[in-house]
Amino acid sequence: MPTSNPEHKRRVALVIGAGSIKCAAALGLQKSLYQAGISIDMVVGCSGGSLYAALIALGTETEEAERLTHALWTRELTKKRSISALLKTVAPRIFGFDENFGLIDDSLILSRLKAAYGEQTFTEARIPLYIVATDFETGEKVILEKGRLRDAIRASIAIPFIFKPWRFQDRLLMDGFMSDPLPVDVAIKEGADLIIALGFDSPYQTRIDSSPRFAFQVTTIMANHLLTSNFAFHNLAHHTEVIPVVPEFDRRIRAFDSDELHYIIEQGEKAMNEQIPYVQRLLGTQ
Amino acid sequence: MEITEKDVDGVAILSFSGSLDALTSPEATDYLEACISNGKNQIVADLAAVDFISSAGLRVVLTAMKQTRLAGGDFRLAALPDGVHKVIAMAGFTSILKIYDDAESASSSFRK
Repeated sequence: MPTSNPEHKRRVALVIGAGSIKCAAALGLQKSLYQAGISIDMVVGCSGGSLYAALIALGTETEEAERLTHALWTRELTKKRSISALLKTVAPRIFGFDENFGLIDDSLILSRLKAAYGEQTFTEARIPLYIVATDFETGEKVILEKGRLRDAIRASIAIPFIFKPWRFQDRLLMDGFMSDPLPVDVAIKEGADLIIALGFDSPYQTRIDSSPRFAFQVTTIMANHLLTSNFAFHNLAHHTEVIPVVPEFDRRIRAFDSDELHYIIEQGEKAMNEQIPYVQRLLGTQ
Repeated sequence: MEITEKDVDGVAILSFSGSLDALTSPEATDYLEACISNGKNQIVADLAAVDFISSAGLRVVLTAMKQTRLAGGDFRLAALPDGVHKVIAMAGFTSILKIYDDAESASSSFRK
């Protein structure tokens, strides 16, 4: 990697974009980098990626992270509809429709986030951690880097229409994928030289038979186009190197396929292993 | 990285192999600039043997596209492996570049 100052220590960032359960591939990337002796200098996460960015920044072992994810991210999270949201939709004037709207009851995700991350904050992260959310009122991208982790994650995964926005640090926040689905720019801004980017197109629905599925489809279309345009710009803007790591899956992985977790991590590790010699050459360690 | 070249009816078909990344992009850029300055502005990049493309590689592709079009020609891609195609698509390049299944189709597209 060309550099004008040979003494300059090249900073490695791991950026984990939106992608629901597929983001678990980041644990495979971490394992591969660790085995190769490559340290990560910062982690950036968005939406589903924030779950893993936080675990990696906290120094959680891969096996423990896998166990936590099994307990955290299952299909049951979207099973329980929010009665108040339904009533607000049917009779907004009577039940008082407002910005705190989400079709799914979020009590289960809240309790699971609490079980997984407890009261830990950004200051307990061993490496700098940045979590991306979106300001519901202004549309701005918001980079979270202080406060309680489970609040930041809850904000970053507030899928529009599905989970209500989350108030944190005096802002009403929603899913980071609405503003920056693969936040390579955060790593650029924080001074990363080598950026390892794990990003995914969100999968489209195979059938539209409920309002949440309809909502998922609409936001997926928008977010996938946003991913493409942002990624194009960030690739061209970065002064050194963005390495896209694209795990290959031989079957469709749906948002809550936690049974596929081990396979997803393995594929992430495999995809990263293929790039390790190149990363080592860039870092001058081979 | 290796680059081999052949001419088919005035179209330069460049076959790349290996990785198109920060380590190899200077060589690729030099090669392409030499081609274009020698009057070759209809270029097909056959990427069948490219196993990886990074941001530096994308910048090479974009620069070649701009330079050939400024010279009145075009830079077209052919035979993209799946992994390379995914990165090219994720970066939005599929909407601004012409991409073909193989080098022959890409070179003949200049005659249409």
